[in-house]
Amino acid sequence: MSNARPVRLLPAGLLVAALLGYPFLDKWLHAQTVHAVTDAMIYVLLALGLNIVVGYAGMLDLGYAAFFAIGAYTMGLLNSPVLGSPLYGYPWSFWVIIWIAAAVSALLGAVIGAPTLRVRGDYLAIITLAFGEIIPVAIRNMGDITIDIGGWKPVERLNLTGGENGVNPVGRPHLPFVNFDTDFIPWYFLILVIGALSLWAMNRMRDSRLGRAWMAIREDETAADCTGVNPVKTKLLAFALGASFSGFAGSFYAAKLQAITPGAFEFNVSIMLLCMVVLGGMGSLKGVILGGMLITLFDRIILAQLTFLVRALGRSLGVAALATVDLTLWRWFFFGLGLVIVMLIRPEGLMGRRVRPPAADVDEAEETRVLVAAPPRPRAEALPTWLREAAAPAGVPASGAPVLEVRGVTRRFGGLLAVSEVDLVIPGGGIVGLIGPNGAGKTTFFNLVTGLLRPDAGEIRLNDASLVGLRPHAIVSRGVARTFQSIRLFQNMSVLDNVLVGEHCRLRASVAGAVFRPAAVVDEEARARTRARDLLGFVALGDKAAETAKNLSYGDQRRLEIARALATEPRLLLLDEPTAGMNPQETDALTELIDLLRRELGLAVLLIEHHMEVVMGISDRITVLDYGVRIAEGTPAEIRRNPTVIEAYLGKGYEQELVST
Amino acid sequence: MDWHEVLIQQTVNGVTRGAVFALIALGYTMVYGIIGLINFAHGDVFMLGLFISLSYLTLLGMTTTLHGWQLVIILPLVFLATMLTTGTINVVIDRVAYRPLRHAFRLAPLITAIGVSFMLENVALLWKGPAPIAYPDVFPSVDILREWAGIESLLFITTKDLLVLVATVPLMMALQYFVTRTRWGKAMRATAQDKDTALSMGIDVERTIVLTFFIGGALAGAAGLIQGLYYNIGMWWMGYQAGLRAFTAAVLGGIGSMPGAALGGLVIGFLSAWSDQYISARWTNAIVFSILILVLVFRPQGLLGERAADKA
Repeated sequence: MSNARPVRLLPAGLLVAALLGYPFLDKWLHAQTVHAVTDAMIYVLLALGLNIVVGYAGMLDLGYAAFFAIGAYTMGLLNSPVLGSPLYGYPWSFWVIIWIAAAVSALLGAVIGAPTLRVRGDYLAIITLAFGEIIPVAIRNMGDITIDIGGWKPVERLNLTGGENGVNPVGRPHLPFVNFDTDFIPWYFLILVIGALSLWAMNRMRDSRLGRAWMAIREDETAADCTGVNPVKTKLLAFALGASFSGFAGSFYAAKLQAITPGAFEFNVSIMLLCMVVLGGMGSLKGVILGGMLITLFDRIILAQLTFLVRALGRSLGVAALATVDLTLWRWFFFGLGLVIVMLIRPEGLMGRRVRPPAADVDEAEETRVLVAAPPRPRAEALPTWLREAAAPAGVPASGAPVLEVRGVTRRFGGLLAVSEVDLVIPGGGIVGLIGPNGAGKTTFFNLVTGLLRPDAGEIRLNDASLVGLRPHAIVSRGVARTFQSIRLFQNMSVLDNVLVGEHCRLRASVAGAVFRPAAVVDEEARARTRARDLLGFVALGDKAAETAKNLSYGDQRRLEIARALATEPRLLLLDEPTAGMNPQETDALTELIDLLRRELGLAVLLIEHHMEVVMGISDRITVLDYGVRIAEGTPAEIRRNPTVIEAYLGKGYEQELVST
Repeated sequence: MDWHEVLIQQTVNGVTRGAVFALIALGYTMVYGIIGLINFAHGDVFMLGLFISLSYLTLLGMTTTLHGWQLVIILPLVFLATMLTTGTINVVIDRVAYRPLRHAFRLAPLITAIGVSFMLENVALLWKGPAPIAYPDVFPSVDILREWAGIESLLFITTKDLLVLVATVPLMMALQYFVTRTRWGKAMRATAQDKDTALSMGIDVERTIVLTFFIGGALAGAAGLIQGLYYNIGMWWMGYQAGLRAFTAAVLGGIGSMPGAALGGLVIGFLSAWSDQYISARWTNAIVFSILILVLVFRPQGLLGERAADKA
C-alpha cells in the first residue's frame, strides 16, 4: 500500500528536479535529445497501458498498436484540414480531442475485448493479433471508399482516414504564451504531465479492489469467479482502461508528428511494446518504465553508436564487412533476440517480482518450528466480530428452514450421467456430509451448486431463491462460498490480498473511486484491510499476511483458502475434501474449526470428505452418492449401518473396524 | 471471361493456394497438438524453405527451365534437401527456444516464438535484402487445356497447378499413414493425448516432440519450395502473412486435427482467392482475420476438431 510505505523524499525530489531540469540542460549543452526523449515517453506510456492488460490481468495482447492507431486517427480525423474537420484550427480543439481519443480507444478496447471473453490463453492472444492486423488494413482502405451496387453508388470516393498517404498536417495544441510550433520543450512537458497523471492513476488502480480483481483473474480465473470476482466485467475493464492510455499517447503522437501514416501502427509496434513490458517485468510500473526507456535508448542511440564503433573497428582491422555494417538494420532482429533471452533467462523481467523460495536459513528455522509446534487450535474469541455481525442479521434460521434446497438435479456429460436426480437439503447451521467413491459425482455436484456447471434438469435454491443459471460470482455474492479439492489460491499474490479478493463482492469502489479515492473509498479500503487481518488472525495466519501465498505450507494454504471463502461473508460454505493430505493433528484442528463456524456463526456447511472419522463425527446428516445417484441419506449412525452404503463405499469390514478403534 | 469462367479460374487458384496453406497448417496443428504451443515462427520456416531451396537450385546450377531427367531426379532431390534443412532448423528452434520453457508459465514459449519469428525474418532480410527476390522459373509451365486437351478456353490451368497437387497430396497421404499406422505415429498421438501417461508407458516424449518439429519444419520447407516454383518470387516478410493464414486454416479445420488442417487450408485458399476477385485484394487480409476471430470465438474446436477450447 503506497501510503503505508515511508515516503523517501530525497530520491523523489531529485528525480523531479532532474525531470524538470533536463530539457533546459539539454538546451544549454546543445545536445538536442529532447525530441527523441519525448518520443520515447510516448512509447513508455503505451507500454504502461499494455501492462494493464498483460501484466495485471494476464491477457497476452498482440495487437495493442491498434489502440495507438485509434488514438492517433481520432486526433487526425477531428483536427486536420485534410479530412475537412470542422474542429481544425480552434485553440481548444487539441485539449478536447485527447479526451475524446481516450474515450474512443476505451470504447474500442471494450468492443475488441468482448469477443475475447469467451476464450483464454493463447487463443486470446491470436484474436488480439487478428484485430491488430484488421485495423491497419481498414485504415488503409478507408481513405477511398466507393460502394458500387450494380452502378448505384451510395458512397463514392469517401475519404475517412487519408488511406496510404495518411493524414498531414494535424493541428497542434494551443496555449497562451507557449510555443508548440518550433520548440520541443513544451511537448516534453506536456507528455511528462500526461505520463505522470497516467502513472498516478495506474498506481492507484493497482492498489485497489479493481487491481486485485485483475491479478486474481491472472492467477486463476475459475477460482476468482468462485470468489466473487466477475471475470467478464474485470477483463473488459482491463481492455478498456488499458486502451484509454493509448488514446492519450496516440493523439499526442499525431499532434507532435504532424502527420500519421498507417505503417506506424503495425504488428512490429505491438511487439516492441510487448518487449518493453516483458523486459521491464510484467506488472511492475517501474519495470515497464525502465524497460521502455532501455529499449528506445537502445533503438535510437546505442545501435547507431555501436554501428560507428564496429565500423571503426572494421576499418582499423581492415575487415570490409565490418567497416560497412549498419546495425540499425538489425533492430528487429535484436528485439526478437531480446524477447527470447529475457524469457529464457529471466522470465519475470528486470524488475518483476522475483519469485524465489525463502532463504535457506529461514527455511530451516521454519521447518523445525512447524515440526515441533502443534497445529493452531481455532479459538472462538478470535472469531472476527464483523463476521459475527455479518452472520447475525440472518441469525440462525428457525430449525427446519433450509438454507440450500436441491431437488432432482441432473447433469450429463455426453452419454454419462454424472449427477442424476439428486436431492439434498441443508438446514441453517447444519453440516451435511457428501460421501461416495471416487467418480461418484461429488465434485460435479459442487460445481452445479456453485454455478461452474449448469444443471440439465432440477432446481437449486438458496434461502428460497433459485441459483440455476447464475454465474459463479453472482452465486458467491448471494452467500455461497467454496474451497477446492486441489487448493486454488492466487499463488503470486500476498496472503492478505488473497483474503481481500474474497471481500471483493462486498466492496463497492468503482474505477473512478479507485483513482480519486474519496473518503468513502478510503474508509472502505481501510475497513476491508482490518477485516482481512482479523480473519487471518482467526485462522492463525496473522503473522504471514505479507507472505506470497504459494510460499505457505500445505496446512496454511488450506486454512488461507477457508479464510478467503469466509471473507465473502457466506451463508453456506462448500468444502471439497478440506482435510486431504493433512496429518491427524491438523485434521483435528480443521474439524474443530468447521464445528466452530457452525456453532458461532450459524454457518451451513456442505462437506466432501474421505476421512470417515471427520464426516461421521461432525455431520448432522450424510448423503451418499454412487455413479451420480443418491443411494442413501440419513444420520451418520444410519449411514454407518446402511448395507447399500457398506457395499458401495465403506466396505464390509468397516463396522468392525470402527468398533475396534 | 464469363462469370462462371472467372469462378472456375478463381477456384483453381484457391486449390493451389489452399494446398500450400494446408502444408504449413499441418506444422501448426501438429505442434499445437503435441505441446499446446502456437509456433509463431512456423510461417518463417516456410519462408526460409523458399530461400533455402533457391540456394540449392543455384548450387546445382539449375536456373533455367528443367526438363526430362532433371525433373525426375533434380527436383525430388531439391525437395528432399530443402525438407531436411528446414526440418532441422525447426528442431533447433525447439531445442533452443521452446524446450527450456516446457514447464514455464504458459505464455512464455509463445513470447519466445514471436521473438524467434522476428529473428528469422530479419535474418532473411539481411541475407536477401528488402526487395522481392526473383525465383528462377525452373518448372515448365504448359497450358493444359489448350496444349494437352486442345480445348479453346479462356481458363488458364497449367502444369504448375498440377505440380502443386502432385507434390502436396502424396505428402499429406504419407503423413496420414505415418501418424495412424506406424509405431512412431502412435507415440505422437499418445503424447498429444497425455504427455505424462505417454511417458509412464515408456514413450520417449522429448524425442517424439523433436520428431514432430522435424516433420512440421519439413512440410513447411516443401511448401516454401512449391511457393517458389509456382509464383517465382520470394519476400522476407512472406512468412508472417502466410503463417497467419495457415494458422487460420489450422484453427478453422480444428487445431490438433490433421485432416482438419488440410480442409481448413483448402477453405482459406478458396476464400482468399474469391475475396481477391469479388471484393478486393486490399480487404482479403481483413476478411481472413475476421474468419479467424469468428471461429475462435464461436467454434474453437473448428470444423473437424473435437478438442475442447484452450483452457489455459
